[in-house]
Amino acid sequence: MNPANYVVLAAILFSLGAIGVLVRRNAIIVFMSVELMLNAANLAFVAFARMNGNLDGQVVAFFVMVVAAAEVVVGLAIIVTIFRTRKSASVDEPNLLKY
Amino acid sequence: MEFISPELDYAALAPMIVVGVAAIISVLVEAFAPRSVRRFLQLVLVFTTLIGALVLVVLNSGMRVLTGGQSIALDGPAWIMQGTILILAILGGLLMAEGGVDPSGDAFAPRASALPGSEDERQFTIRGYLQTEVWPFLLFAVLGMMLFVASNDLLMMFIALEVMSLPLYLLAGMARRRRLLSQEAALKYFLLGAFSSAFFLFGAALIYGYSGSIAFGPISFAITTKAGENTLLLIGIAMLLVGLFFKIGAVPFHQWTPDVYQGAPTPVTGMMAATVKVAAFGALMRLLYVAFGGVRWDWEILLWIVAILSMLVGSIIAISQSDIKRMLAYSSIAQAGFILVGVVAASPQGLASVLFYLIAYGFTTIGAFAVISLVRNASGEATSIRDWAGLGKKSPLIAAIFSVFMLSLAGIPLTGGFIGKWGVFAAGVAAGDAWLVIVAVIASVIAAFFYVRVIVLMYFADPTPDTAAVVIPSGFTTVSLAAGATLTIALGIVPQPILDIIANAGVFIR
Amino acid sequence: MTEAVSDFNLGETIVFWVCGGLAVLGALGMIISRKAVHSALFIALTMINLAILYVANAAPFLGMVQVIVYTGAVMMLFLFVLMVVGVDSSDSLVETIKGQRFAGLLLGIGLGLLLTVGIGSALTTSGDIGLTAANDAAGGNVQGLAQLMFDDYVVAFQATAALLITAAVGAMVLAHRERWTPRKSQPELSEERFRDGGHPGNRPSPGVYARHNAVDTPALLPDGSTSLDSVPGPLRARDDVRDVDPADVDEIRELTKGVDS
Repeated sequence: MNPANYVVLAAILFSLGAIGVLVRRNAIIVFMSVELMLNAANLAFVAFARMNGNLDGQVVAFFVMVVAAAEVVVGLAIIVTIFRTRKSASVDEPNLLKY
Repeated sequence: MEFISPELDYAALAPMIVVGVAAIISVLVEAFAPRSVRRFLQLVLVFTTLIGALVLVVLNSGMRVLTGGQSIALDGPAWIMQGTILILAILGGLLMAEGGVDPSGDAFAPRASALPGSEDERQFTIRGYLQTEVWPFLLFAVLGMMLFVASNDLLMMFIALEVMSLPLYLLAGMARRRRLLSQEAALKYFLLGAFSSAFFLFGAALIYGYSGSIAFGPISFAITTKAGENTLLLIGIAMLLVGLFFKIGAVPFHQWTPDVYQGAPTPVTGMMAATVKVAAFGALMRLLYVAFGGVRWDWEILLWIVAILSMLVGSIIAISQSDIKRMLAYSSIAQAGFILVGVVAASPQGLASVLFYLIAYGFTTIGAFAVISLVRNASGEATSIRDWAGLGKKSPLIAAIFSVFMLSLAGIPLTGGFIGKWGVFAAGVAAGDAWLVIVAVIASVIAAFFYVRVIVLMYFADPTPDTAAVVIPSGFTTVSLAAGATLTIALGIVPQPILDIIANAGVFIR
Repeated sequence: MTEAVSDFNLGETIVFWVCGGLAVLGALGMIISRKAVHSALFIALTMINLAILYVANAAPFLGMVQVIVYTGAVMMLFLFVLMVVGVDSSDSLVETIKGQRFAGLLLGIGLGLLLTVGIGSALTTSGDIGLTAANDAAGGNVQGLAQLMFDDYVVAFQATAALLITAAVGAMVLAHRERWTPRKSQPELSEERFRDGGHPGNRPSPGVYARHNAVDTPALLPDGSTSLDSVPGPLRARDDVRDVDPADVDEIRELTKGVDS
């Protein structure tokens, strides 16, 4: 057991978040998965800060929380708008945009 | 412990401070100015600011400073890219200001919050409401781009990426016509953008774990001093690149490009297509050259693959597109691939060629989207390529200008695009990437096919009843279009002044 | 950084396995839950456990911020929006591209294996310097963070202002519905209600005189006729109105005989 375990945990959480983004088709859940990925990155920063013995990582994690808060506001505003437009928050549904 | 307030080089930061403060004033205008004068005040504010910031950039262009701790690097390439971003933002802003093309107002929904097709929306349209909040968004996005090309640590780069992206997500969803399409574009852009920035962030965490710092200087130092174990470094670089490849729209991270280009309001598409490319390539090169120059051989192969995929996939899929905005989107993917050829070269020559390419590409792209915003039929912009048949006979001038842009994108001599392509290919060959350049040449031949196809369609097909009409724009679009066309040709005929400026700028400081 | 690999003490080992396990459980729950609300609650669980792990990693300030900002604000905003758009907005099972989900799953698992194995093997020899020295130099964890934030990273700090303003303005632009007519005053509203011949007062309550208090039983008027107004609209629309016992009707007629209806 050493602090590297935290980083491995962060990697697992990050991958779970990525799987969520790739597998789920509901915009809100996809967005939650992205938040999980950001959280995982934060955990990695915090663990590395301890391992490296400087506080830069913690500062980054703090900034990421600020950025995430702003991003959530914009993202949810977009999701609510589009939901009101078509009364469903699923990414692929009546999709005008082609793949 | 006593806190010593940081030393900031305010003179060097002045262009960004001006844009940032103006953005805040612009929000205050929204809050306090009466509705009738908002548009006028915003236009005065935005264009004064952008031109003022451009003047400051030119005045500052001799400076080579690191400031804000080590987080901001303002060196030759940074000034060139900031200046380019500002000029392109002015031209893009002119397109956004256009109010005479759509009979019911500008390109944006009268109120983005009103439900499409509702009585509210109809009333707002009749009353001539305009969503003037687009102007603070434009200024914030420009601020983000200027920070992005100057950021010299991973935290600054991440925040600049978000400052640049958030307003663009919002702008993409605010089109006046086909609003569901526009909102879906915004959602897709947002979700994939957030996804890719999460990759960027995790990559940054791994690099921090490897080197113990997030500033580019110490990272580069750690790479040269630490021997052996570098799995963490390599995974970190790959993940950072995923985030940046997304922004430049390189394959396989390009899926958002066609949808967003098609769905976003055309002036926003033009502005974004031109400026984001400059900003993202600027950041990509600074990251690769300054921080990761020591492991060049490891990231080079990754860039090779992405460049080849982008060039081929972009060019080949563009051929089958029936919508002109989607075609230009795939073309932009292919162009990203061509620019990457210059990036892979990782030499001063490569850097200079990429800068020139970005300038030429930016002017051409804004001009092309300006033309698209003018070619209309009863339901709005006629983006279906079929509706452009015979345009050369109905509106020879516009068709001629659009042909110039297409030729420049295809890289035909006497246009800026040719000098740009020539530059990156030459840099590629000089750096020993001959095979990559051969693929690039093949891809440009494929790409030339669909650019020329549009020209042929405009001139050699007969007009049908469906052929769109060209609307006479107000001064805003005219200036932007004229500037785009003039510069595209000027860069092709007398490129030397710009090449000299770029040569004098030198390389990134570290 | 290849000094001796320090071990966790027993307390931290327990915290790591319990909270780390719960965090992974929450993440899995979020992916698997059919309902978006359950996903939101699962990820809140993950975030709280991450907060504890931050504290265990010598980041007490971040632990608190995590609870306040992430679980307190961000996740509640998510829940709020879920309530707005409808709690039961579950996944549509339609796959636009066949096998997209499966491919996504494979890609994700591949990424996970690459990351965990790569990082796991890379970090076996890394050190653990700890933050005691860094914190002491600044006079504490919070002071240390503030020192960096307002010195080395002050430009980034300023730039976040742009981010927050954009977010606030953006939310207003997309969600604030502006009025294009002046708000109606109370007299205007009441006048409007009477002018088009609507029912001005209370509707008769169901079951009046009917000897039955079910909502689907219409009230009886004094003359013995039924008043369909008393039955809730949806029931009327479904034609789900209960018949009144004729005996009751007769009784009412008897009771109200001579009363002027």
